[in-house]
Formats: sequence, structure tokens, C-alpha cells
Amino acid sequence: MKDYFNLLLVLTNRKIREAGLHPVLGYLLGFAVFIFLSEYIFYKTEFAKYLVILVCLSFQFRLSEKNRTEFLLSTFGDKTKNKIRILENLLVGFPFVSILLFKDLLFEAGILALCSIVFALVSFHSHFNLSIPTPFSKKPFEFSTGFRKTFFIFPMAYVLTLIAINVDNLNLGIFSFLLILLTTLGYYSTPEQEYYVWVHAETPRIFLKNKVLNASKNATFLTAPILMSLLIFYPTEFALILGIFFLGLLFLWTIILAKYSAYPGEMNLPEGMAIAFSLLFPPLLLAIIPFFYLKSITKLKFLLNDKNE
Amino acid sequence: MIKMNDLSKVFGDKEVLKNVSMEFSKGNVYGIVGENGAGKTTLFRCIAGLESYSGEIISDFTPLKNHLGLLLTDPFFFTMITGREYIRLLCNARGKTNLDIDSKNIFDLPLHQYASTYSTGMKKKLAITAILLQENEYFILDEPFNGVDIQSNIILTEIILKLKELNKIVIISSHIFSTLSETCDEIHLLRKGEQIKSVQKSGFKNLEQEMKEMTIGNRIDKLELK
Repeated sequence: MKDYFNLLLVLTNRKIREAGLHPVLGYLLGFAVFIFLSEYIFYKTEFAKYLVILVCLSFQFRLSEKNRTEFLLSTFGDKTKNKIRILENLLVGFPFVSILLFKDLLFEAGILALCSIVFALVSFHSHFNLSIPTPFSKKPFEFSTGFRKTFFIFPMAYVLTLIAINVDNLNLGIFSFLLILLTTLGYYSTPEQEYYVWVHAETPRIFLKNKVLNASKNATFLTAPILMSLLIFYPTEFALILGIFFLGLLFLWTIILAKYSAYPGEMNLPEGMAIAFSLLFPPLLLAIIPFFYLKSITKLKFLLNDKNE
Repeated sequence: MIKMNDLSKVFGDKEVLKNVSMEFSKGNVYGIVGENGAGKTTLFRCIAGLESYSGEIISDFTPLKNHLGLLLTDPFFFTMITGREYIRLLCNARGKTNLDIDSKNIFDLPLHQYASTYSTGMKKKLAITAILLQENEYFILDEPFNGVDIQSNIILTEIILKLKELNKIVIISSHIFSTLSETCDEIHLLRKGEQIKSVQKSGFKNLEQEMKEMTIGNRIDKLELK
């Protein structure tokens, strides 16, 4: 078990080095960014505590992936696997629980710590003979597979909207459609295998255009019930509602372009920093989107065999 | 037609393909044979445009990759993508939409299930179905018979012969010589990245014997089995 965590540390350090940083500096920077973002969201919204819990659970959810859990089980046996998984979830949950404790949110911190332990003992099986239905089956893959992995988010967001309208809280309504947009950003966070880019008989420009259009269409489809409800119940706030929605779409475009600007590698520190800064100052998107777009075109040129662009 | 002139590929200081020149004509099936590490997969990746190389590859349909159905030795599938969605994804990528996938499910695959739950053979059959429905002009099949049951192997052999009849170019690698001799018009032998020889159908028997002798040598005797 000790060897396993040593290996995880080596792998994490290697990733930080690949991003061009010394590991110690990487951890310090990560810590600073985490504190800064936490303070920022607690300053900006009253729903920050839910966001903290959600982000933490989404990281832990990834660690509970079936193949990963099965590997741990076959390598270490049932008892050690459970210990490893609990420790992993507690390590991931530690900064999030700490920030909740720091904000005097004892109940929420307790719930998150408890969930971290319970989720460690569960693996999310995809070994069903029946698949979860998805409205995005016609144009796979990001939204069709992503929807299945996060399907529980959508009813949650729709219920939140109903509550928001009932208690006359527009902020909660906006939070619920931001929750969906945030979820869809995750569908584009990791690069697909090169075959799935190569297979497209498209130029990089058309490829990116189709990716962005498809993502925008699907994200609009998922948020439409919330948007419509909010526009009906808060018609005077239409500029705010639509403004935030379009800003969310711009971030979706940014993530897609950031992903291909680093392709076939994973998005790294420079892309992450650019996105983080544009979160703080959205007008930066006007420069970042074209930058990522041009970089993506260059990166995709070889695989899509485009000699003209 | 696909024509390669002096194709070479280097990984670090290791030359994995050395001045390979081959020509593939319409309506023919070609086999590429060689031991593990001979350079077969690298050659396929170069033709497909997945690897950079020195030398020249020309084809009558350009860019070649947009007309190529590529079956990888070990196809990768996303988690939570169904068989039907996988086929749709690959066909959409080539601009083929509104396909009646179910009626073309000749291997009787459970298309509503996640592809990741398929067995090795089923995964290969799914990948083959998808590239066939893309309506390509060229096909590269890297170990298409591996892990596939005998009934499907028979179907696959017939599919390859049908593609030949339809004037397509099919390039196959296989460790099972009989599958190649049944379908190929010409076989190219690679060894350590070099093109050792090219053999026409009439010479397949000798090639098989030669490969057997070369591969086995006196290895079995060394075991001194009693």
C-alpha cells in the first residue's frame, strides 16, 4: 500500500515536471490557486458550499471508475483495496473539507467527509447489458458518453430551478444552469485517442467548427428548460440570464479549443492558467479564444492531413 | 492505386522502416507478413498518415486518409459508448449519415450495449463493421482475424473477396498464413523494417515453407523433448 502511494506521488511529480514546474513549486502554486478560487466563489455566490462539495465529489467519482477499482482489487485484494480507496478519497477531500471547516460550515464538512468514505467503497459499474438512454445518440461521442456519466446532475439541476422559482431566488436558478454548463465542460477535459481525430474527413477548421457547434447545440438543449423557465418567471432579468448563458457557452468553446490546442497532450498549466484568468476577467476570452483556435489548427493539421491551412 | 517510394521511419536512433517501396493496385488484396517488430504496424500507420515519415506515398484518392478504412490491431473504445453509436461516430466522421445500421449488422452484435462490455472478438467485428459502412476505397486491416470466431472468420474472408470484386484495395497483416493465402494476390515480407521479398499467388506455398523453416529453425530440437 505504501509503495502504491509512493508510485502515485512519483506519477504526480512527473506530471508537474512535464508542465514545466518543479514539484514543490507546483504544489505551492496549486495550493495558492485553490485558496484563491475558493475565496473567490465564496465571495461571489451564496451557493459556494454546494459547488465545493460538487467539485470534490466529481473528483472522487473519477477515482471510483470500474476498471480502476478492479485493478486495485486484483492487485491488492479486497481489504487493502478498500483502505487505499478510503485514503485516496480522504486525500482528495482534505482541501475541500478544510475550506468548509475554515468557513465554519461544520455540517457540510462532516457530510463531505462521510461521503468521501462511503464513495470509496462503491465502484461505478458500467457493466450493464442495457445502456442509459441519451438524447445525443445521433451524434456521438462527447455528449452521449458524458451525459451517461453525469446523468444524475440534470434532474438535480431541474429540481433546483423549480425550487428557485418557488422561493423566488433568481441566483439559485442561474446556479442551476451554470451547474449544467460546468458539467458539460468536463466532457471536453481529456484528449481522445488520435484515431478518433484522424478518422474525420474534415479540415481542422471544419472539424473545430463542428465540435463547437455540436457542443453549443447540445448544451443549449440541456439548459433550455431552465432558461425558458427563468425567462418566463423573470422577464425583466432577460439580459442578465441570457448574458450569463452566452458567457457559459463561450467558456465551453474555450475548453474545446484549449483541449485541441494542447492535442495530443493533455491540457496543462498554460491552458489552465489562461482559463482561470478568463474566469476572473471574462473579456480576456476575446483574446484567448482566437489564440487557442489558431493553436488548435496548427496541432490538428498533421492528423487531419491538411496541407492547405 | 497507392504507391510508396523509399519509405523510411525512424524512432529515436532506431530505424523501423528502411526504404520500403510498394505499389498497391485497385481490385487487389495484399498481405504484409513479418515477425513481431518487423514494422508492419508502423508501415500501416505511415500509409494512414498517423506517423510522419521520409519518402513518398501517393494515391489516386487524396487525401488518402479520407478514403481509408483502418482497422487497428487493438481497437480502442470509449467507455459508455454503445456499438450503434460507435458505428455512427465513425460513419458521421466520413459524412455518412442516415444509415440503416441494424440491417447491416451482419455479425449480429448487440449494438444497444456498451462496446466496452464486448469480448475481444466482438470488438474487432464492431470495428470492421464500422469501417465497412464508411464506404472506403482503401482498407488496411491489421490482424483482422485475431480473436474472431471461426464463423466470423469465414464471413470476413468473404467480405475481403467482395471488396476485391468491388475494385477496392485491401492490405492485410495476419499471423495466420492460411487466411492470407486464401485472400491475397501478393504478399510482402518484412524483416526488421526491410522489405525482404514480394511474392505472387503462385509462390505462396514456397513462401509459407520458407517462413516456417526460418521461424522454427532448430528451436524445437533445442528443447530436447522426450
